[in-house]
Amino acid sequence: MKLLLIEDDTELAKSLVERFHEQDYVTEHVSNGDDGLAEALRGDFGAIIVDRMVPGMDGLALVKALRREKSTPVIFLTTMGGIDDRVQGLEAGGDDYLVKPFAFAELLARVRVMTRRIAHSPSKLSAGSIEMDLVQRTVMREGRSISLLPQEFRLLEYMMRNVNRVVTRKMLLENVWDIHFDPHTSVVESHVSRLRGRLNSGFGIDAIQTVRSIGYRLLAPN
Amino acid sequence: MPFKPCAVSDTDCLRPTRILKSDVFRFAALFAFLFLAFTGILLGTVLWIVQETQRAALMSANDADIATVANGFLDEGIPEAVEVVKQRLGSPALSRPLRPDFYMAIENEQGQQLAGNLPQLPRTIGIFTTRFGQSVILGRGVEVTKGVYLFVGRDTAQLTATRARILRAFFWVVLGAIVIAVVGGLFLGVRFMRRIDAIAATCKGIIAGRWDERIPLLGREDEWDRLAGAINEMLNRISALLENLRQVSSDVAHDLRTPLTRMRNRLEEARAKSTSISEYSAAVDTAIDDTDQLLAMFSALLRISQVEAGARLSSFSLVSLTDVLENIYQMYQPVAEDYQHSLISNCQKDISIRGDAELLTQMFSNLVENAIRHTPEHTRIQIVLKSDGKLVTASIIDDGPGIGSSEHEKVLRRFYRVSSSRSAAGHGLGLALVAAIAQLHHAKLTLSNANPGLRVDTTLRSDWQR
Repeated sequence: MKLLLIEDDTELAKSLVERFHEQDYVTEHVSNGDDGLAEALRGDFGAIIVDRMVPGMDGLALVKALRREKSTPVIFLTTMGGIDDRVQGLEAGGDDYLVKPFAFAELLARVRVMTRRIAHSPSKLSAGSIEMDLVQRTVMREGRSISLLPQEFRLLEYMMRNVNRVVTRKMLLENVWDIHFDPHTSVVESHVSRLRGRLNSGFGIDAIQTVRSIGYRLLAPN
Repeated sequence: MPFKPCAVSDTDCLRPTRILKSDVFRFAALFAFLFLAFTGILLGTVLWIVQETQRAALMSANDADIATVANGFLDEGIPEAVEVVKQRLGSPALSRPLRPDFYMAIENEQGQQLAGNLPQLPRTIGIFTTRFGQSVILGRGVEVTKGVYLFVGRDTAQLTATRARILRAFFWVVLGAIVIAVVGGLFLGVRFMRRIDAIAATCKGIIAGRWDERIPLLGREDEWDRLAGAINEMLNRISALLENLRQVSSDVAHDLRTPLTRMRNRLEEARAKSTSISEYSAAVDTAIDDTDQLLAMFSALLRISQVEAGARLSSFSLVSLTDVLENIYQMYQPVAEDYQHSLISNCQKDISIRGDAELLTQMFSNLVENAIRHTPEHTRIQIVLKSDGKLVTASIIDDGPGIGSSEHEKVLRRFYRVSSSRSAAGHGLGLALVAAIAQLHHAKLTLSNANPGLRVDTTLRSDWQR
């Protein structure tokens, strides 16, 4: 999988290229906006990581221009953590928005989720023996019905859409609760713990794996 | 109004040249000029009317005399006309006229004077003026019959005297107007400049760093007082913001120093004492945690300042407060359970206000989280939402230990932490953000004792900015 990184901080870029390489991603690095757009239009990338403030064409304009031609997933990296900046980024055509400084694991998890995003929305999801009916709002595991509260259902739905991939706490807060700030309490942990309880009750295998200090991964249990 | 000496400072001084340059003085001068021009026109008209009336009266007397002479001629010919002239002039023997303001003369075809008190006549027909000695005579010349010339005229001394009187009056009026304009202009100019100088002096004081200076009010409640009041209010606001900024900078400097020092000590200790990879990585993990805490503090500060700057006002829309609070309830219910608390929601349905859903969510999240984190186990926390039509009140009430009344105001400040919670994790910015969001929504935030516990009420106007 090839990634394009448009970032003018060479030290950060170098470290990201190396770390993505460790994760078997080939990353092409460009340090200004104009070259970035040319490269993005020319190449075939799984995802584009773009800093909002790069020399030449800025990130927002770049993504707007790119969107006229291609739908390659784009994730913004930015120090502009303003409340409106995120909205601007997403409106310009970005698919995700990550504020600097960030943990590499956070970026990696988002890139992974993004590069395998399925465009169509099926009415049923399945992860191993867990099946979810999005219309009927029901969940079955090995044919046994599991009742969930609305927020637990949404939490599981997001994890099932990203089965076998790490989802970070931040991603869960943003996508399940639409929360864009850091809570001071263990909101995610408490909900995951309850979901885990309902999902695993009566089954030997824990379907939700905790990835220490990063987030969770739903494994497809057989 | 006395002039102040020009010694103290530039603004206190009232030099005459400054007054002459002042706008008010120029305005007064322009006004005086217009007044004079108007007075001139008025007096000119009066003068003209009076003089015309006097001339008309004079001429009608002349014409009456001419008519008498003409009647004499018609009745009995020239000798009778001459006789009438003589009668009108009094005695024919007198060489000097009996009445010095009345002149009459009749001449035959040869230019020989038959009767009269004027030596020489120009034999002009019609109305004209002629001089005789010191007198200016206005009269009419007619031909009584072919070649016989009659002149009747009267002295215009009265006309001249009246004109002189009117012009004299005009002179005094003009003089008075000029004096009033100059004195009034100076008075207004001085008064105007006094006030301007008071404002300028305050501005200079503030430029010089004396932030507590304010423009003195005269208590007259005139436009000056209103202006001064508005400027003072603005200065108060700016001072408060500056003070706030100063406070924040020093707080940031102080509050950053503590975690940075701690981090540095830990790293130094790790380098000096750690012997294994696991010890090193433990030290690095702690350092990462410390940095995260610092970053969280920064983003909280940034968010507060963004909210305070009001940048989000443009994104206000109709928000269902019921939904916001219900979501918060569902979100924090499991968390509260983990803390061994009970979280109860009692929200009236369908309550909407204008606002920013994301910020409102953060505001009530912060309040609920505070109640969860800073109370002992088995605390009952209630989320209550109710509306009386005009006012919407959202309350977060706990029955924990509460905080002292003296601290109800203080906890809303940045970095302020009640003594009992100093050891708990957090940066003391949560309630400052709550206060900023409440202010953005024009909401009243009230902390009170729930006996026992703390009650935080957020009162919003449901029709605000609709």
